[in-house]
Amino acid sequence: MNELDTTLKDFFTPAAPPRLARRVLGRLTAAPDLSSLIARFAIEATDRGVRRLAYGRGHDDATRGGRRHLERAREELVEYLGGRRTFFTVPIDLELPAFQAKVLAAADRVPFGEVTSYAELARRIGHPRAARAVGNALGANPVPIFLPCHRIVRGDGTWGHYAFGAALKTRLLALERATPALVGSATTRVVCRHGCPHEQRIAEANRIVFASVADAAGVGYRPCRHCRPVAEGC
Amino acid sequence: MDERTFARLAEEYAGRLYAVAYRMLGHRADAEDAVQRALTKCFAARATYSPRWAVSTWLYRALANVCIDELRRRRPSAPLTERHAGPPPRGSDRLELTRALEAVPREARLLLALHYVDGLSYRELAAVRGISVNTVKSQLARGKAIMKRALDGA
Repeated sequence: MNELDTTLKDFFTPAAPPRLARRVLGRLTAAPDLSSLIARFAIEATDRGVRRLAYGRGHDDATRGGRRHLERAREELVEYLGGRRTFFTVPIDLELPAFQAKVLAAADRVPFGEVTSYAELARRIGHPRAARAVGNALGANPVPIFLPCHRIVRGDGTWGHYAFGAALKTRLLALERATPALVGSATTRVVCRHGCPHEQRIAEANRIVFASVADAAGVGYRPCRHCRPVAEGC
Repeated sequence: MDERTFARLAEEYAGRLYAVAYRMLGHRADAEDAVQRALTKCFAARATYSPRWAVSTWLYRALANVCIDELRRRRPSAPLTERHAGPPPRGSDRLELTRALEAVPREARLLLALHYVDGLSYRELAAVRGISVNTVKSQLARGKAIMKRALDGA
């Protein structure tokens, strides 16, 4: 064993806080699963995609050609709430004022599991003094969750308001925190976004979580050709 | 696997799991949280545990998955060193090593931690991360080279 090995071995010596195992075992709880909330959501869809998502009131409504979008949206929403999906593929059909469209597009770019502040989002769309207007635009988001306005929080670290109530915002953020975004298969050496049909077939024992596509590529995994995980996690 | 066996395993591995998490995340509270989440995951999946797997591989894989996912959420500029008040390092060597470890890419850092905390072999490391033994060797060599360069330059 050379000198570097000895130094590193000493550096990595375990020194856990006292009674760690007992503390951890006392707090064993199931992972958050919000899929039971699905009955409280109402979705409206047109031929072009989902137009509105409501919580706690209203009924599903779809045009003849919009039924397939409604069904797909509901399916994806159940998977998301159950911690089995990190992204949505169902089309969204919105006609919004230019500013609000810009705000929601910027919110949609905040990666799953991360948060950013109203002020930072305002800066990103080139209106650094419009944090309050950004808050109003997000508050009027017709399709929360599908366009993730819950990932925008106040600059002081508190959650701030949410169209579906602060309690749900907390639960959604906790759910995202406990759900990995990029999952590789140890057998096929392919890395997918969590929620991709190929990812859902990976057995529990073969799941490998990666922080970025570059990390996965660095150890011999290739990105899935179906869900194309490029931007996420990078 | 019954609850008692799992509790005994958790007692046995908690210290080593914490050490790996601490070196990955650089923060005591985050490390404890990572151990908590990894053990919660394993506890929930204990019925599907297959004895053909080494227990250590099973636990370390769960922990590695949690730590790597936690790092994904952090901004690239977030420092690895303790961000809040905590006991000061035991000497400048330790501080230099901590800084050197920051320069090591995530995957290599994880392999270094697993290798030195619990002495996992190349084959075991390959099983934990689902990669080939040769990749383990090259990643470890890369990680060590970066640390050595950082220490020599310090």
